Amino acid sequence: MATVATTVADTATAIVTNDYGRVLAQRERRFAAALLAPAFLALMATTTFPLLFLVWTSAFRMDLAMPFSNGFVGLENYKTLLTDDRFWSSLVVSLVYTGATVVLQVIIGLALALLVMDMKRGQSWFRIIAILPVVLSPAVVGMIWRTFMLAPEFGIVDFLAINAGLGSKNWLGDPFLAMVSVIAIHTWQWTPFAFMVLLASLAALPEDIYEAARLDRATAWQRFRRITLPLLRPAIVMVIIMRTMVALTAFAAIFTVTGGGPGTATEILNLYAYRKSFTELSIGYGSALAVALLIVTILISAVLFAMRRAK
Amino acid sequence: MNAKRIRFLALLAISLVFLFAWAFPVFWSVLNSLKTDRDALAYPPKLFFSPTLEAYRDVLFGSGSILPNLISSMIISVGTTIVTMLMAVPAAYALARLRFRAKKFAGFYVLATQMLPPVGIIIPYFLVLRNIGWIDTYQGIILIYLSFSLPFAIWLLVSYFEDIPFEMEEAAYLDGASRMRTLWRIIIPQVRGGIAVTVVFVFLNAWNEFLFAVVLSGNTVRPVTVAMFNFVSVEQTLWAKLAAVSVLAMLPVVVLGVVAQKHIVKGLTVGAVKGGGRR
Repeated sequence: MATVATTVADTATAIVTNDYGRVLAQRERRFAAALLAPAFLALMATTTFPLLFLVWTSAFRMDLAMPFSNGFVGLENYKTLLTDDRFWSSLVVSLVYTGATVVLQVIIGLALALLVMDMKRGQSWFRIIAILPVVLSPAVVGMIWRTFMLAPEFGIVDFLAINAGLGSKNWLGDPFLAMVSVIAIHTWQWTPFAFMVLLASLAALPEDIYEAARLDRATAWQRFRRITLPLLRPAIVMVIIMRTMVALTAFAAIFTVTGGGPGTATEILNLYAYRKSFTELSIGYGSALAVALLIVTILISAVLFAMRRAK
Repeated sequence: MNAKRIRFLALLAISLVFLFAWAFPVFWSVLNSLKTDRDALAYPPKLFFSPTLEAYRDVLFGSGSILPNLISSMIISVGTTIVTMLMAVPAAYALARLRFRAKKFAGFYVLATQMLPPVGIIIPYFLVLRNIGWIDTYQGIILIYLSFSLPFAIWLLVSYFEDIPFEMEEAAYLDGASRMRTLWRIIIPQVRGGIAVTVVFVFLNAWNEFLFAVVLSGNTVRPVTVAMFNFVSVEQTLWAKLAAVSVLAMLPVVVLGVVAQKHIVKGLTVGAVKGGGRR
């Protein structure tokens, strides 16, 4: 008898608490919705809506300079895009710029992180100085490089080139040198990022594995290849992903330094979309270019994320 | 022993080269900003000269002063920071702590919005803001800055909210405090540090923004990153003044960067740690 009574009582409490729990859960949901609403409305208004609007605009001929022939054109802009040499060249420039800057950042950043990690003194110098480039506005960085560093016969780089017997070079006027310059500037500004992230990851690696390796008489290269690199892999992949996304949509540091020139030598896809929309005022086609950029970004990030998951 | 010494010196030299390379453009701008226009133009470049604050006086108080632009930058950055924080703190708390449907999706959505190329969304913004007359206004620029500052702030704050022990909230509920009161009185004071770090980064990003500013600014609202172009032209670049403007544009972010030094790696990698398991 007694056992039956307790079971009944238990069930009753269970029902009551369960109900109460449901009420609580509902209240929690409502509270969450109220807290999230402002931010999500703002995000939808400033990201999702413009994205949809962009796709819509890309189906129009929308020329602010010649408004009379504007109108819905369907996929016309995308057809034009496929046969547009300037689009393909800007895509190549984007890929070269992104590939070169990311590889340089990771290699230099990693090498420097390994070097600094072994330092007994002076680490803090690196930590402080490395902050300088990354907090600066790419627009200001571009401006400083364009003038004080690279201006012919005035900039320090040119001054050094002359004194090294290379002669004065038109760093931003020559198509090849201009590309080298914008890659160098981006690498200059963002290598400290890779350096700081990798240094932090290195510092977090367990010490005892290295002890064991030393006891086993592993060489420095073996220790790097067999221990450091595999353990650091997630951090390296993360740096690659983040830097790729940024390099693909880099704008200010190229815009201020070369404006995409000379000609279209440093015109990355991003800059082409901008020039088309806001310099040539061909907004419909510019939108199609921006959509193309978005698709490229998504494809590349899909590949990178697959890389991250793969062992 | 000798080989070891050579190795040491080589490594020392390499590290000094990099330190120098990173510091130099900033150092050189500061140096040039203290020159007269004549000294700045001198060739070979002068390392020693009698420093003057003339260039600063000219760019701040002379004709074509950039003081209004510095103020513009300040209003935009402070405004963006305030609006962002008012929205991001509650949202981050909900994402970090509360249980609700579609929570995973909500978090993913915030992360995904960061992937949009800015040049893509600037076109619709331009068209819409032009229609409602918000080009060259503070509300226009601040609204659009939310597109990058909000996702960033939310994700950074989530990581701080997650560090608070659950017991603190439970204790407050048991004492009969409402959810709102608990959030305001118990939780927020716990993440003061995280909020401060987030404020620094949101301000920094807003101050440094360029693409949106170029398209959406005008004669009334023009931040310093855009206005500094007035000092460069094909015929004549005003070197000392340009250097002074650069230094003024760099000053706030360098100070903030050094202050937030310890948190900079976290601020730079926010969001990246997510999506593949927690930390």
